[in-house]
Amino acid sequence: MNLKSRLLATTVAMSAIPAAMFAQAPPGTGLTAKAAAPIDLTGYWVSVVTEDWRYRMLTAPKGDYYSLPLTPEARKVADTWDAAKDVAQGKQCMAYGAPAVMRQPSRVHIGWDNDNALKVEIDAGKQTRLFAFGAPRPTSEPTLEGSSVAQWQSPQITRFYTSKISAQDPNTPGFRGQTPVGSAPPDTRKLGGTLKVVTTHLKPGYLRNNGVPYSANAVLTEYYDIHQDAGQEYLVITSIVEDPQYLYVPWVVSNQFRREADGSKWNPQPCELILSSK
Amino acid sequence: MESAALRTHFVFKIRSKTVWLFRASLVLVLVLLTIPVFGEDDFAGEWAPLFHEDNPERLPGPELGDYMGIPINDAARLRGDSYDADRISVVTEYQCRPHGGDYSMRGLSNMRIDSIIDPVTQQLVAIHTRMNFQEMERTIWLDGRPHPSGMAPHTFQGFSTATWDGNMLNVYTTHLKESYLRRNGLPRSSKATFREHWVRHGNYLTVVTAITDPAFLTETMVRSQTWVLDPNQRLGRDICEYGPEVPAPRGVVPAHLPGMNPFLHEVANWYGLPYEATRGGAETLYPEYQLKMPKPDTHPEKCERYCDCGNTGLGCNLNPTKR
Repeated sequence: MNLKSRLLATTVAMSAIPAAMFAQAPPGTGLTAKAAAPIDLTGYWVSVVTEDWRYRMLTAPKGDYYSLPLTPEARKVADTWDAAKDVAQGKQCMAYGAPAVMRQPSRVHIGWDNDNALKVEIDAGKQTRLFAFGAPRPTSEPTLEGSSVAQWQSPQITRFYTSKISAQDPNTPGFRGQTPVGSAPPDTRKLGGTLKVVTTHLKPGYLRNNGVPYSANAVLTEYYDIHQDAGQEYLVITSIVEDPQYLYVPWVVSNQFRREADGSKWNPQPCELILSSK
Repeated sequence: MESAALRTHFVFKIRSKTVWLFRASLVLVLVLLTIPVFGEDDFAGEWAPLFHEDNPERLPGPELGDYMGIPINDAARLRGDSYDADRISVVTEYQCRPHGGDYSMRGLSNMRIDSIIDPVTQQLVAIHTRMNFQEMERTIWLDGRPHPSGMAPHTFQGFSTATWDGNMLNVYTTHLKESYLRRNGLPRSSKATFREHWVRHGNYLTVVTAITDPAFLTETMVRSQTWVLDPNQRLGRDICEYGPEVPAPRGVVPAHLPGMNPFLHEVANWYGLPYEATRGGAETLYPEYQLKMPKPDTHPEKCERYCDCGNTGLGCNLNPTKR
């Protein structure tokens, strides 16, 4: 191959980079969720409680519903809350269901349960959630943690379909003759991305420790993102709870966690109401 | 002759290679220029803030002496303790202040985001935000320009540059004028800088704000805010007019001397909180503080203040009996 041909080939190859870059780990490539992870969520994380401090660190008094877009029916239910009754009936974990547990001050341990499921353990209330990529794990009864389906979202995966469609159109400049489906995609972890988790099949519980309810029809959508600040790694979880019975608009909050080097501060505690009189 | 021919041939080959290198480079540059910068989310549009966290603090305003959830040092505490709420009614210079750039994402304002596109290259040069509180406008540069010298003017919005990391926009802001961490006198100094992380999830925008302030914080303070896209929103003007609201002699700045502020225990007593916890500090931000925080002095059976802020989207009632 002469110089002219080599340069031409190089140029064409360079122009094909975008197609390869954005064709990472879409469904059908055979990659496991673990291999396709655009960000590394595994490890230990600690809550950084800089918002809603007084109702997260303590149990808010009865009737304290600030910041929550509640329906009149929700207020009516919450107005009947009786902490002593909950304790007597063994309902201390009502505020540790999936829609609320990530707001409990806690340490969170995230690891791979298998190649296509993340296990999320929360030391507050000793809760465990399973994020299944693909089909959710079947459950017979609704549970506090519900049934969660996970999906990676990254620019690469989003653009995969665009690349594929473009490549199938012989008139599309820049994609002619290219094969966008990467059989051996490069590592994309530095390119960022998000974990999206949708949780359904929930047992009714509390959005707030003081008896604010969510129903069995609630749907929780979460987005997990990682960023760095001052040499520390942080996880922010944007949480959207939809429950037309008790919320007149979706309740949207974001919770921060900071990465810890190890599990030395892991401290499992039973579900409990942190009452101001404790 | 043969030597000259060889030389000519050699020069021609070099020139030929040079021309081809130039052409190939040109083609490569053109190819790269025509490639959209994949991964960049488009934040442009009308956004409405969601006050589903800290609603009473962010809308009607924080209680005096509420330093909860902020990793402040003693200097910040002293400044907060000296604050008197009459200050903004008496000192007209304080009345039309915009929020600092680090607070504006938490403040009581809607937002419009515009993308500034270079008309020639079609590259995103900057993101511009406008908030309809005190006419706050901010430009976040994405064209790689450096931050100015430390001697350059410091402003409320500061000087912001940003880079992309996949779908996340990472913003770095310097050159801030002194402002506040919370609207009850907790200060944020002009030495502070902050980083933001913007990420869009469908119609929701999450912005994490991480403030570093060597004067008033013992560790980076990380908070996050959420917004929802509202295409029907149209921002109006917010013209501020200042004037003395409380009679006071000229030059008076309402303040409390150290140890003389009688209002600092109110927030603990009203909400049934340990007074020590209301004083803030890094230690209070983490789960282990739950196990060692002292007992409060009071135990309200029922909520008595700002209980329904945000319940209906129609604001707050201080007194729950009026709802």
